[in-house]
Order: sequence, then structure tokens, then C-alpha cells
Amino acid sequence: MKALLFTGSLVAILTLAGCSGTGPVVEDTTEGTSQPEEISIVDESSAADTEAGIVSTDLDSGIVTLESIEAKIVPIYFAFDKYNLEDEDIETLRTNVEIVKGDTAAMKIADQYTLKLEGNCDEWGSDEYNFALGLKRANAVKEELINDGIEANRITMVSYGSSSPVCTEKTQECWSKNRRVDFKLLP
Amino acid sequence: MRIFIGVLFSVLMLWGSDATIEVRKSVDSLPSIAVEDASSDYQDGLSKRFFRVLVGDLNVLSIFNVDRDYATADFEKEDVADLHKEIDYVVRYRLVEDNGVMIVNVKLINNDKVMHTIDYRIKNPRQYVFLVHTIAAEINDFMGADPVDWMKEKVVISRTTGPRVSEILITDYTLSYQFSIKKNGLNIFPKWADKAKKYLYYTALTNGVPELHKYGIYDKSDVLILKSDGMLVCSDVSDDGNRLLLSMAPKGQPDIYEYDVQNRKLKRLTRYSGIDVNAQYLADDKIAFISNRFGYPNVFAKKIGSDAVEQMVYVGKSNSACSAHNNYIVYKARESSNAFSKNTFNLHLISTKTDFIRRLTVTGINEYPLFSRDGGTVLFVKKYKNQSSVGVIRLNQNKNYLFPLTGGDIQSIDW
Repeated sequence: MKALLFTGSLVAILTLAGCSGTGPVVEDTTEGTSQPEEISIVDESSAADTEAGIVSTDLDSGIVTLESIEAKIVPIYFAFDKYNLEDEDIETLRTNVEIVKGDTAAMKIADQYTLKLEGNCDEWGSDEYNFALGLKRANAVKEELINDGIEANRITMVSYGSSSPVCTEKTQECWSKNRRVDFKLLP
Repeated sequence: MRIFIGVLFSVLMLWGSDATIEVRKSVDSLPSIAVEDASSDYQDGLSKRFFRVLVGDLNVLSIFNVDRDYATADFEKEDVADLHKEIDYVVRYRLVEDNGVMIVNVKLINNDKVMHTIDYRIKNPRQYVFLVHTIAAEINDFMGADPVDWMKEKVVISRTTGPRVSEILITDYTLSYQFSIKKNGLNIFPKWADKAKKYLYYTALTNGVPELHKYGIYDKSDVLILKSDGMLVCSDVSDDGNRLLLSMAPKGQPDIYEYDVQNRKLKRLTRYSGIDVNAQYLADDKIAFISNRFGYPNVFAKKIGSDAVEQMVYVGKSNSACSAHNNYIVYKARESSNAFSKNTFNLHLISTKTDFIRRLTVTGINEYPLFSRDGGTVLFVKKYKNQSSVGVIRLNQNKNYLFPLTGGDIQSIDW
């Protein structure tokens, strides 16, 4: 998996470097040392837009596609109001990494994809704290992936809070399915 | 009667000088009021809808016992309908259509004498709801009660209708008026950008990357302001509209940032390895915010530019949202660790000057508390038994009112 996500990732890295270079530059007032800087705003183009041409193939054809790889990846689930990973979650993560490694290597496109982590919460509260909670869940997964040797630049994150449920029943089992981090592969 | 009301309000003001002290009073001691419809035009149901909204508003004023029975009357007569002879006050209204313009005449009658008259013209009858709120506020002012200018305010909500699908609606505090301004994709956390409420900020997650947009509700302009990986929410706007408090996480770490609208500069205000979100401007260049720096979400405050952080709330196991007004903070607290409990999240009111604490809600999930500009009323979102509602709490009157949403859930709200 490390080889998958590391080797020959020049295109992806260059793309991501271009994005991060135009992101907000921040003054940290708590340190009291850095000066305010002008920031470049809203002139970014997404990695997905600039990587045109690398798209999934027919799902029904039996050919390995981005969607078919994603379908094999198991989400990481979390306890109520928690964002720490348990040992079994780390094992699941490593299994996911091996799946992605094998399939994208077979496609010979291992160096051309970005991993996107989507943090989610159950329906208990839709406020900012819960969006942050979803993001911390994604970040916990990201840090574990980095510990496994995956470059941080190849991982993006977004939190959907409680706005992207996979289950809408009013049961404990259902809510537990929504406290999760999903994995997406982006061209 | 007015002397009686004056005495009543003097007593209420005395007890209500600290809003954290719960005021209990007998409903029977309030004067009664009824509404009479004298309209001959607008027989398409508008005059009855006008009636229902007006009755609801008079109830929310919390200074009357409101008779809810629909009645008609002759506008020019001074005496009230027979069924209202025992009622202390009668509000009689007449809607008149005049070349597409709606004329509204209102009388407030007491003891068969007209005490007050109100006349309005409205070009767009579809927006009659705001006119009703204005009339109710004027009656309230005439009676000398606490101001209710917040009634007339435009409210903006985000309504989720499915996974990753939401729309932004301009509405009133009762949800009677609804106008959709953003329908496609996932558009959340709307926040008014200026006091005139011509523009608002919102977060767009349509493309999977959090974006902060500024939208003009009259000119329909839509400007992308910022992008950030992870999350990006406008939590508060300064009174002059020149500064924004943002919850954002460009490197996966949710912290509070301040954005200068005019020079487009961004400052990072907090730096904590856990969660810092939901910042609100306080007086003296301070902010209140939610942080889990003690292991659970709670309300903290700090001066902008200072490292020192002060814990503001000492009651509640998990306090994950707040709104501040002068010396008062209303916050959301988890009452039970059991997600199936009926009273999962309630709102509480504290004063930073006293030890008093007052619970404002009893059941359900209660969140997004927002003080009115005068601090006398709290607007919030309630979710209970699969129903999403806007709630209104009149602090000094000790009254709560709910206005349910038909279809979907309220994701967030601002007024």
C-alpha cells in the first residue's frame, strides 16, 4: 500500500501542491509572532478538475474501477461522541489499504489517485460541534494512514456532520452505522 | 385595565431583572383578547390565514389570554361581536384589494371604544405574514409591553430533505412564510451578513469541498469567499459586518479563525489539539466559543489576541452550542448519556455575574440557541418525535412557543 500511494505520485503531488499553495494563509494570534498576510481567495481549481482523463470504467464490465474499489472498502465506525480509533479499527484500516493497493496496482494507476476521507455523525445534533466531531474522526483515520507511511498530501478530508446518513431508522444500531468515516478515491 | 396591566408589568420587571430567575405567573391574570375579520375582499382564504397568524402572534406577545375562535364583524361598527362582549380587547382587521395592492386597516377596541388604529399598504400580499408580525408588535408597543421587534425580522434556515440534500429558505419566525433561495446540493449554516439582511453567508458542500459563499437575497449574487479542506462554517458576524468568526480546519484541526471582510485577512484565534468551534462575539473584543479542552464540550471565552482562556459554564456534562448577549449565555447541554432518552439536549441560561442557572426546555433535542438583539427572547431549533420546529422562548414572560416545519429537518437557523 505504501508503494501504491507513494511511488511515482508526481502528478498527484504536483496537483495537490498547486492547491495548497493557494489556500488561506493564516495569522496565529495565540503565538503573537506571525504577521497578517494577504491571502489568495477563491482562485483555486480542484484536483478533480485538473486531472481530467482519469475516470472510472464500466462498473458492469468486470474491469476494476474506482467505484468497485470503494465498494470493497469498509468504513471505520466510532462510538457515541468519540473520535479515537480502537485496535480493531486499525486492523480494518490496514485491510482497506491492502485492498486499494492491490486493485490500483492491477489498474496500473496507483500513483494517480487521492484518498478522500469523509467524516460523519449520527443524527444527535447537527451543529458545528458535530461537524467538527466528524472531521476529527476523519483526521484520526488520516493520522493512522500517515503512520502507515502514506503521504499527508495524498489525503483530503471533509465532514458532512449528520447530513449524509446511510441509515435513517430511529434505532441504536442505525445510528451507529452513521458514526463513520467513508473512503473515496479521487482521480 | 391599563392600570392593572401596568402594575402587572412592574411586578414582572422587578422579578425579571435577572433573566435566570424563572418568573411564574397566573395565566388567568392576563387580559383577554379576540380577533375579528372584517374583510370582504380576499375570499381565497388569505383573510383566514391572516387571522391565524395574527392570533398566533398575539399569543406569543404573552400579555393576553387569546380567544382563538374565528369571528367576522362590520369594520365600521365600534361595538364588538356578541360572542366577544366579555372579552377585554378586540383586534378587528379589514383587508382591501386596491389594484393589486393590499390595504390593511386595523382597530384595537376596548369596551366598545377604539383605542388604537393601524393602517398599512403592502405591494406583495404574499408577504402578508411580516405585516401581521408588524401589527402585533405595534399592538404590543401600544400596550407598553417589552419590545418584540424581533417578530418582524427575517429568519433564514437550512432545511435538509435527504442525504446531502438541503435548501436555504428565507422565512419568518413562525415558518408561515417560506421562500427558497438555494435548492440544489448541500447548502448549510446560513448566517446573515448585515443588519439590513440583504446578504447572507452560507457553507456549500455541493462539490465535497467546504466553501463559504456570500449570497445577495435581492440581487441574487453568489460570491465564493473561501475554501478550506475539512470544515468551514461562519459562526458569527460582527455588528458592523466587517469581521467573521469562522470554524475551519485547513489542516484537519478545527479551530476558530477571524476573517476581515475588507482586507481579506484571516487570523487563527485558537490553537488547541481538540475541537474549538461556534465562536460568538462578546463585548470588549472577547469571544465565547465551544471547546472540548477539558475532555467534553463546554463554553469558554477569551480575549482576541490573548492566550488566556476562561471557562464560562460549570454546569452540564456536554455543552456543545451557545449564544451570548451581554452578561447572559444560553447553551445546549446533554441531559442524558442515553441517546434514547426523551430529554437528550436542553437549553440552559446563565448569567456571568451570578450563580443562577435556568433550564429553558424540557424534552427533545434543543439546539441553535440565538438571542434576539434585545436579549429578551431566544430562538432555537427543536427536534422531538420526528418533528423539527422553530422554538421561541420569552425569557421575562417564562413562555415557550413551537412552530413546526412541514417536511424535512431544520439543519441550522439565524435571525
